[in-house]
Amino acid sequence: MSNQQTLVDVVKSEWIKFRTVRSSVMGVIVFIVLTIGLSGLIAWAIRSHWSQSSVADKLTFDPVSTSLAGILFAQFAVGVIGVLFITSEYSSGSIRTTLTAVSNRVRLITAKTIVLAASLIAVSEIVCFVTFELGQSIFKGVVPTASLGTADVLRSVLLAGLYLTLLAIACFALGLIVRHSAACISIFVSVLLIVPIIFAFLPQSWQDSYEKYLPSELGRSMMSPFPAAHHLGAWNACILLLVYVAVIYGVGATMMVRRDA
Amino acid sequence: MLKIDHLTKHYKDTVAVNDLEVEVMPGVVTGFLGPNGSGKSTTMRIILGLDHPTKGRVTIDGKDYEDLRAPLHEVGALLDAKAVHPGRTARNHLRALAVSNRIKKSRVDEVLEFVGISSVADKKVGGFSLGMSQRLGIAAALLGDPPVLLFDEPVNGLDPEGIRWIREFFRSLAKEGRTVFVSSHLMSEMALTADQIIVIGRGALITQGSVDDLTATAQGTVLVRASDLAGLTRALEAQQARVQSSGDKSLTVSGLTSDQVGEAAFKAGITLFELTPQRASLEEVFMDLTAESVEYGTTMPGAMPRE
Repeated sequence: MSNQQTLVDVVKSEWIKFRTVRSSVMGVIVFIVLTIGLSGLIAWAIRSHWSQSSVADKLTFDPVSTSLAGILFAQFAVGVIGVLFITSEYSSGSIRTTLTAVSNRVRLITAKTIVLAASLIAVSEIVCFVTFELGQSIFKGVVPTASLGTADVLRSVLLAGLYLTLLAIACFALGLIVRHSAACISIFVSVLLIVPIIFAFLPQSWQDSYEKYLPSELGRSMMSPFPAAHHLGAWNACILLLVYVAVIYGVGATMMVRRDA
Repeated sequence: MLKIDHLTKHYKDTVAVNDLEVEVMPGVVTGFLGPNGSGKSTTMRIILGLDHPTKGRVTIDGKDYEDLRAPLHEVGALLDAKAVHPGRTARNHLRALAVSNRIKKSRVDEVLEFVGISSVADKKVGGFSLGMSQRLGIAAALLGDPPVLLFDEPVNGLDPEGIRWIREFFRSLAKEGRTVFVSSHLMSEMALTADQIIVIGRGALITQGSVDDLTATAQGTVLVRASDLAGLTRALEAQQARVQSSGDKSLTVSGLTSDQVGEAAFKAGITLFELTPQRASLEEVFMDLTAESVEYGTTMPGAMPRE
């Protein structure tokens, strides 16, 4: 019998599971609507108030990251997709059914990661390019615009999509560790939203030295054509984010393999 | 064949399974009995590789569950019928399982038809009754047509017609030469379904054997009606028998055979009206065997504390 289970079989199975529950489908829709909708609104607001902007604002204006600003909100939808892809299995108990069908746990989480990463990189890149072009077409004629013909601009839009995908994988790994949907969502929202607020209250010198290492700031660096003051360059930010994801993923995978289901 | 070899499982400081050693043979239905909390479900989870044993191992035809080439083709299991994502339809749930083990799509429709839930196959599982979920769980267990089947408390939530159906179904699976391992805390249910019985309490093996052997070795009681019940009670208690009054002018005697009861009555000069040996039911055997290992004992009915 040639029924030896392979990674491809499990990827197909996880793909069926991913697209047949409302939470992931809704999550993707919310992500698309939030990113494009909010970015468009922000771009339109900037265009309509451009004449009142200060000279300093006009000089530091970045048409690339501004056109992608909706990502700062939509990233929470992406995190939820990553978390629920694993925690919903624990909350419903279906992880036990899954593991009886796929007893090799490394194979299972590899397959889940492939499905999650492939779906999100595809959706995120398309959404980021659409959002970028939408922003530029809104800016056109009034506000300075950017073009994908410039290498740094193209890199910013590409890395914006990668940032979102890595975020989803990190949240998935967090789900492997914590297993509870609400707890996971609280943790990643705290890291992305509350920690930066805490930083705002710290002495300026600390902000300058350490804020750049926060995941959300790494994301900002990745999607800007030129680094902001006291920030890492895009590629260094990208590498550091990869290291963060690798560490949390390593912990999550090890715990998944060792613990009782 | 399913082999449980010196299996021990600790959760923090509780011992869920304690050096359990059992072999489950193909061709018969094997009942796995024990009171609530006796370690049945833990054992089932370890068999399926979900929990890791503290000591010992479980093998299926000599292999660990994790090393099976395509698990659903070798073992089918129903653990917790509600362990399904509530937002997915029954058909999609089974399709995802089937694909992961290279099972044809047509097999999904076959098993849905077989367990009788084809009409709700495209409804979300969250709306299913416990009985429908049990049937879906059985369908999932059958997907890969496996030679070994495990069912944890399968009759829970089934209606009488469903219970009859499932009994017949277990027997037919066994008749096809499969290994059928069914856990239950209801001895009466197992008496009707199983050929072989394994009884555990507090995680350890209490006894195993065929249903007939178990009832045969169990101590029966003797029902006796007599003219002088008080005198007879004294005479029997003198021989270390346990005597209980069982209603209208009769006694239930345990610890003596009917011959010994007759002799005792004769010596005491008491006339017997009736002397009937009573075989213990499997239920009584079970209560007897597990009396000391019941995790959550209750007091007798009627002894409920009042304010």
